[in-house]
Amino acid sequence: MEVNEIISQVNTIFKDVLDNDEVVISADSTANDVDEWDSLTHIQLIVAIEKHFKIRFSSGEIQGFKNVGEMCAAIKNKLG
Amino acid sequence: MKQGDLFSQTFKISESVYNGFLSVFNDRNPVHVDSAYAQKLGFREKIMHGNILGGFLSYFIGECLPVKNVVIHLQEIKYLKPVFLNDELNFSAKITEVHESVNAIGFSFVFENVQQVKVAKGKIQIGIIT
Repeated sequence: MEVNEIISQVNTIFKDVLDNDEVVISADSTANDVDEWDSLTHIQLIVAIEKHFKIRFSSGEIQGFKNVGEMCAAIKNKLG
Repeated sequence: MKQGDLFSQTFKISESVYNGFLSVFNDRNPVHVDSAYAQKLGFREKIMHGNILGGFLSYFIGECLPVKNVVIHLQEIKYLKPVFLNDELNFSAKITEVHESVNAIGFSFVFENVQQVKVAKGKIQIGIIT
């Protein structure tokens, strides 16, 4: 799966978790760019992403992501 | 705690639990306080508030796990059968997922009455605060 497709699927997860169909994320997006992306929704986003892609991150990986693009690149690597 | 871990607990909807719920939340809908009314609706007697089971879930998460630094992120419960005053319920829960990256744990759970009939089931996700 290519990163763009992963970002598209992650965008759908964001819309569902944040309950906001207007949310549009890109590779450059960070928590500062999305109003509803607070500490609790962050947990729900990661849980939903891990379940959707059937992967697990480490806490170190999560803390190291600078933006959505880095996370999606990590997802791509885990999917192989 | 790890995926597959099982937990069980017995709860009773005693007079004190029922009266406490009524006293605190004041939901005195006749189906919950008037057996004659409940019988007209097809129940054998007044039925208990579903959210009494929510209280048992709170007790399970807050008091029965091996750690205390927990909060509930979300829970979902389906009520399958009515429960009645003085019913004893066997509660069982299983860890279905662990998300170490964000210290979140998911459980599935079921409540059964003494006839081993499932009266409710659902899911809970908790967070471990570190």
